[in-house]
Amino acid sequence: MAPARYLLWMVLTGLSLAQVSSEFVTADIRRAGSRLACLCGSCKNSVGDCAMLGCHYSLPARQKIASLQAQGATDDAIIDSFVREKGKVALVVPPVEGFFGLAWWMPVVVMGLGLALVYWFIQRMSKPAPVAPVEQRVLDRYKESIEKDLASLEE
Amino acid sequence: MENIGALSLFLALCLSVYAILGSLTGKWRGNNFLIVSAERAVLAVWGLLTFASGMLVYALLTDDFRYAYVASHSSKTMPSIYKFAAWWGGQEGSLLLWTWILSSYSAVVVWQNRRKYRAMMPYVTAIISVTQAFFLILITVPLTPFEVLAVGKEITTVPDGRGLNPLLQYWSMAIHPPTLYLGYVGFVVPFAFAMASLITRAPGDSWIHTTRRWTLVTWMFQSAGILLGAGWAYAVLGWGGYWGWDPVENASLLPWITATAFLHSVMMQEKKGMMKVWNMVLVAATYLLCIFGTFLTRSGVVSSVHAFAQSPIGAYFVTFIVIELAAVTYLILDRLEFLKSESQLESVVSRESSFLFNNLILLASCFSILWGTLFPVISEAVTGEKISVDAPFFNRVNVPIGLFLLFLTGVGPLIAWRRSSIESLKKAFLWPLAGMAVSMGILFALGIRHIFALMSFGLCVFVTWTILSEFYKGAAAISSKSGQNLVAAMVELTHRNTRRYGGYIVHVAIVIMFIGFTGAAFNKDATVEVKEGGKFHLGGYDMTLTKINSGQNDHYRYVSADIAVHVNGSQVATLRPEQRRYTTGDGSSEVAIRRRLNEDLYLNFAGMANEDKAVIQAYVFPLVSWIWIGFAALLGGTIICLIPSKIRYSFPKTQVLGQVVKEGQPVGPR
Repeated sequence: MAPARYLLWMVLTGLSLAQVSSEFVTADIRRAGSRLACLCGSCKNSVGDCAMLGCHYSLPARQKIASLQAQGATDDAIIDSFVREKGKVALVVPPVEGFFGLAWWMPVVVMGLGLALVYWFIQRMSKPAPVAPVEQRVLDRYKESIEKDLASLEE
Repeated sequence: MENIGALSLFLALCLSVYAILGSLTGKWRGNNFLIVSAERAVLAVWGLLTFASGMLVYALLTDDFRYAYVASHSSKTMPSIYKFAAWWGGQEGSLLLWTWILSSYSAVVVWQNRRKYRAMMPYVTAIISVTQAFFLILITVPLTPFEVLAVGKEITTVPDGRGLNPLLQYWSMAIHPPTLYLGYVGFVVPFAFAMASLITRAPGDSWIHTTRRWTLVTWMFQSAGILLGAGWAYAVLGWGGYWGWDPVENASLLPWITATAFLHSVMMQEKKGMMKVWNMVLVAATYLLCIFGTFLTRSGVVSSVHAFAQSPIGAYFVTFIVIELAAVTYLILDRLEFLKSESQLESVVSRESSFLFNNLILLASCFSILWGTLFPVISEAVTGEKISVDAPFFNRVNVPIGLFLLFLTGVGPLIAWRRSSIESLKKAFLWPLAGMAVSMGILFALGIRHIFALMSFGLCVFVTWTILSEFYKGAAAISSKSGQNLVAAMVELTHRNTRRYGGYIVHVAIVIMFIGFTGAAFNKDATVEVKEGGKFHLGGYDMTLTKINSGQNDHYRYVSADIAVHVNGSQVATLRPEQRRYTTGDGSSEVAIRRRLNEDLYLNFAGMANEDKAVIQAYVFPLVSWIWIGFAALLGGTIICLIPSKIRYSFPKTQVLGQVVKEGQPVGPR
């Protein structure tokens, strides 16, 4: 290999990603990782799904999951370990507890309120509004207009 | 000379303020001279902003690195097209583009309506100019694109600029921001007309007729902008995602959803004189969500991958949004009497009701996305603890909502206006539902067990059936009368009522896109390390890395891999994914994609594991091409909606005169 090309190889290799995070992604790691947020700041994926090789968060997180699984830890224990270390931000979705549960409940509540609003609207709009008596001459004028229109249609 | 662009912006700001004051004072004092001069100020603002934009583009194209903006977002080695695109590649320039597009829309509005809506136009001019002035303040005071580099008191220049982020150097990214902005900004016009009609209590719904076309055009641009962004993410980011529920992506979707709701519910107002308050709320919400979206994109209030365009201008936006929200709320509440409904809902089983449910579901989706986007901020403010709300949350909440919306897309056309009988419903729904059940059964038998995927495919069949039957029924009637063949009759049918049948084509486009979205349930991926001559396998593909290439040019160094792709032993393609390292130090991936209707094979050169081993990420994305086909169909359908119908339809509203009473009979509600 020519020296210049060799140098280029070295530079590119250095700049590229020496580790392959995916070699750690077994089905078990993906399952546990799918409950943990990738906190790299560049994606909104889970540790199990993050596709960035050498991601500064998901790669060590996967290594940690693999290590805990090797020690026989359950998925819940692994998740708890991440939460203890990072806080609830480590979870990919908010937990259904306390204030955080609002994240899940609010869309349901709003949908329910919306349905109630639609029901109220339908009830209200289905009742004809009170109408005032109309004079016979007004009706006659409309009838005459309809007759004219119908006559012109027949022509 | 260096300050002439900044001077143009300052003059434009002064003229915008004049346009606000002149049009309002002219209206209140009955001074037509002032009104017309305010409208001319709007035209002058466009001229000044065009000049300022031209100055910035000229500076970018000529590598004038005395400007901080040019030095930060362009470089000598960048191709001219990307130097031009650097206009919106940074914060200041993109806000200038926003403002320039708004001034262009304003000029068109003023010119188009120079003899129409004279009572309303001063308010329209003032309302648009308020938004114009706000953005001009941003690019005049905190974020001017014409800041010059200075050392001591001397203007200086740098040898070369930093260049545009390589991720942005892609053809769809060159047109994605302007297209999206054409959508965002365009919603200012319907908003201005709606508010002006409230202020003036203009009789009738004339503002709707004026702005429906605007809304449709801007909706089309926004759809195009969103999908171009999705296409960019798919082809550039290297892992094949086209939608990541990033806050900035969500911000573009929110006004699109409310605008979609408006485009449906406005038919209720046109045909029945109903839902007037609701339509006002939707128009205002769409406009405010556009401003809110720009705020999210620009302020950095939530963390986003769109970090290349953040700055501390959040306070300006929050103040503006709060003031506008208060003004709109006051105006709508104060004019409730003016917005009273003109007719009644005759049955729950009616087209009118289906529109109500359509709007409810759209708004529920909008709320859940907004809520999920802001929840980390709200949660931290309330509990002091950070929380993640990532893609799985949005998928879990929005997939069921999306499927229900798809169902309604099929239901709507089958239900008659006013009321539908049980018999007619049975007749209309029997075959589409049977088609849906059969298709789901076949897919289940073929081994598909993903429940949402089954439902989605089934609903796609249901909706397609209902829409095609609408086309068939109409075309068959025309064909039997005119003797035209069925295809010609369908063209004739569409031409007779472009709005209705163009709308159906848009619905078909949505179905096609749903097919594409559903394919994601069956994605496959593998990441491998391979040497030259190494083989790997994914899905139905056997791949061989035949050669690793490397080299460099003026802009970047690259390393790429030639990969022979075999299916059933036959070579079907050679793909060459590439990784680049730009002279600026940034890196990017040039993925290689073999696109087919059934699935895409997507290869990303992720890097070198060591001197002779390449790391290749391979993906199979089933049905993803259907999203882009659906996008084309959506554009086609929207353009058809914009073509005037051959037959001019009018929608006489039911008019209740009163009731004839006999002597002694009580008068009141039945």
